[in-house]
Amino acid sequence: MLLTLLAKDLRRAWRNPLPWLINLLIPLCITALIGLAFGGKSDGGALGRIRFAVVDEDDSVLTQFLRGAVNQGDGAKHLEPVFLDREAALREINDNKLAAVLIIPTNFTRGYFTGSQRVSLELIKNPAQSIHPAVLEELLGAVVTGLNAIARNFQSEFPEWQAVFEGKGDYKKVSQLIERAGDKLKAAKPYLNPPLVSYTKEVRVEKPPGTNTTRAGSKASKPKSGPDSSLFGYLLLGMSAMFLLFIASNGMSDLHRELHNGTLERYHTLHERLLSFIAGKMVFTMVLLLAGSAVMLGGGAVIFRIHWQQPLALAVLTLGYAGFAAGLMAALAAAMTDERAANVLNNLVGMGLGLAGGCLFPPQQLPAFLGKHVCPLLPTYWFVETVRNLEFGGATAPWLLAALKLAGLSALLLALASFLFRRRFKAGLRA
Amino acid sequence: MSLLEVQRLSKAFGAVHALDAVSFEVQAGELYGLLGPNGAGKTTTISIISGLLKPDAGEVAVAGRLFWSDPQRAKRNMGVVPQEVAIYLELSGRENLEFWGRMAGLSSGEAKTRAAELLEALALTDRAKDSVKTYSGGMKRRINLGCALLHRPQLLLLDEPTVGIDPQARLNILEFIRGLRSSGTAILYTTHYLEEAETLCDRIGIIDRGRLLAEGTLAQLQERLGGDRVFVLEADLKNASPGAWSGFHERFRVIQKSDRQLVVAAIGDGDPSACLKTLLALPVRVENVTLKRPSLNDVFLQLTGRDLRE
Repeated sequence: MLLTLLAKDLRRAWRNPLPWLINLLIPLCITALIGLAFGGKSDGGALGRIRFAVVDEDDSVLTQFLRGAVNQGDGAKHLEPVFLDREAALREINDNKLAAVLIIPTNFTRGYFTGSQRVSLELIKNPAQSIHPAVLEELLGAVVTGLNAIARNFQSEFPEWQAVFEGKGDYKKVSQLIERAGDKLKAAKPYLNPPLVSYTKEVRVEKPPGTNTTRAGSKASKPKSGPDSSLFGYLLLGMSAMFLLFIASNGMSDLHRELHNGTLERYHTLHERLLSFIAGKMVFTMVLLLAGSAVMLGGGAVIFRIHWQQPLALAVLTLGYAGFAAGLMAALAAAMTDERAANVLNNLVGMGLGLAGGCLFPPQQLPAFLGKHVCPLLPTYWFVETVRNLEFGGATAPWLLAALKLAGLSALLLALASFLFRRRFKAGLRA
Repeated sequence: MSLLEVQRLSKAFGAVHALDAVSFEVQAGELYGLLGPNGAGKTTTISIISGLLKPDAGEVAVAGRLFWSDPQRAKRNMGVVPQEVAIYLELSGRENLEFWGRMAGLSSGEAKTRAAELLEALALTDRAKDSVKTYSGGMKRRINLGCALLHRPQLLLLDEPTVGIDPQARLNILEFIRGLRSSGTAILYTTHYLEEAETLCDRIGIIDRGRLLAEGTLAQLQERLGGDRVFVLEADLKNASPGAWSGFHERFRVIQKSDRQLVVAAIGDGDPSACLKTLLALPVRVENVTLKRPSLNDVFLQLTGRDLRE
């Protein structure tokens, strides 16, 4: 019977595809929007290297030194500077090939060392990107702060430094300058090191009972091949979980239409129990939800190059979550007599479960009571947190247990929806 | 054999008594009409019989067994045609019939065969593949009726199946229903159309405000008004008082009186011309007198004091 009911709903959806296409297109649009908001493609789901241009119109030893610095050490891992003239750089930024253009103006070095005039660096950000230009702006802010700090502390020696950078100093003078600078830095050492505030990043590791939590960086506890951390994956997963609730709401609101058209009543004249009918609608909604999940998570994987580490666990958990979402919306449809009021309630419940379940914010960021006592009780949390732990937490997670919990809850909600509908009929739903 | 027995059925929605001790029976091969205005309690009666509603009091027995002792068994024996067109407009007529056949417990093959038979019987074979939303009102009503017949129910409950369709489509449906009756199906037919009840039903129950006021064959109901003679007087009756007219109440029963019209039924087997003479001799200025056979509306008028068409 379930197959007959499912075939009927799929046929109806096929004949009137617009509402269902919108259901599937919304997550696709959301995924694309997130992609656009975060600057399009990224490598491995992380921020990737930031490609930007440096236009060195000053072309002094200092600016050559700065240019060299961004290509060194950790900077080279995250930054990909290209050195172009202004015209070429502007052309590339127009073609969206660069995150930003940094322009070092003519006489920058001279102005900086003499203090004769206020000097400035120019940063042209790519308006088509958001994260990468913002990161560069922050970095440039740090560089400017550093240059200001140097200017304040070494101002008396700037004429000599200027001579050095202009190639007029001899080696003796250079060595004396370096020695004096070293002395100044040594005096500042107690203020800089050790830092007064620091942080240690902890990685949650599934631990056998009786063992202590281990920290990242310790050789013994480091996972052999931990998954990449991914901002996009993290966000996409939470947003998908919330949007699946909204899609479920749309899918199950078909029950209101069945009521309105009298077809649910007609079914009830043939069958005393409504369980099969509601289950059929749930299966139909789950098909929509799984298609939506494939669009969001699969599309996200393509756009953000996220590599889902555990596809089987993700698929099983998504199935369980789809069952929960459909069951929840079936129960709400059964409880609410008015379709409009039901839609409003469904959206509120979806938002509430999404926010309190840690879909948009990490549960640790939620208010203490919510994060500690409410969040772990919510099915959205079971799904999102389990998948996040599996995919990005570098830890194994009891995904099968979470999937079973979600499936059990789905069955309970289905029974509740069936009971509520029968009760409504007996109380005179349409009399 | 009584396929449907309804005993003292009562149902209230808050302060509103939708049904008040309604009792009737429908035999195999009988077409029983429940006639009453909107809000009389017809749909509530069908909802209780089909198990959609639980009565506050009273019993329903289907094929000799109490409904609530085994509701699923009772539902297998009946087909219900709801007042609204309760089918899927996106699906074709054939798909709707096959779907409801499957829901009624038929196998896929049986549902297909039966759907083809019904499409033929309902004269819809040539439109079988078209989406129902392209059908006319009458065609939708026919499919709505057919969807209740897939499993060949012994008892058919029809809740105003001809509402809102053109006369020709109505005639087609009524003809189809007559065919079902002749095949032995027991039919409970609710309507507020007098003509349908008069021409279609074997027995008629008149229901108003939740109470079954009278039941019987058309002839039996007409007999309540005095056989086959009803007189309609048109006159200025503003200040007239029939109770004061000498000997009037011994010969006539007042069915309805308004300022312009007096409807009366003759008592006994008096000669119509003698009755006419008596009426023309009344102390009012009579403008017109009509003699007619009593209709169900006259019966309803007599029972409720209201016109069924109001």
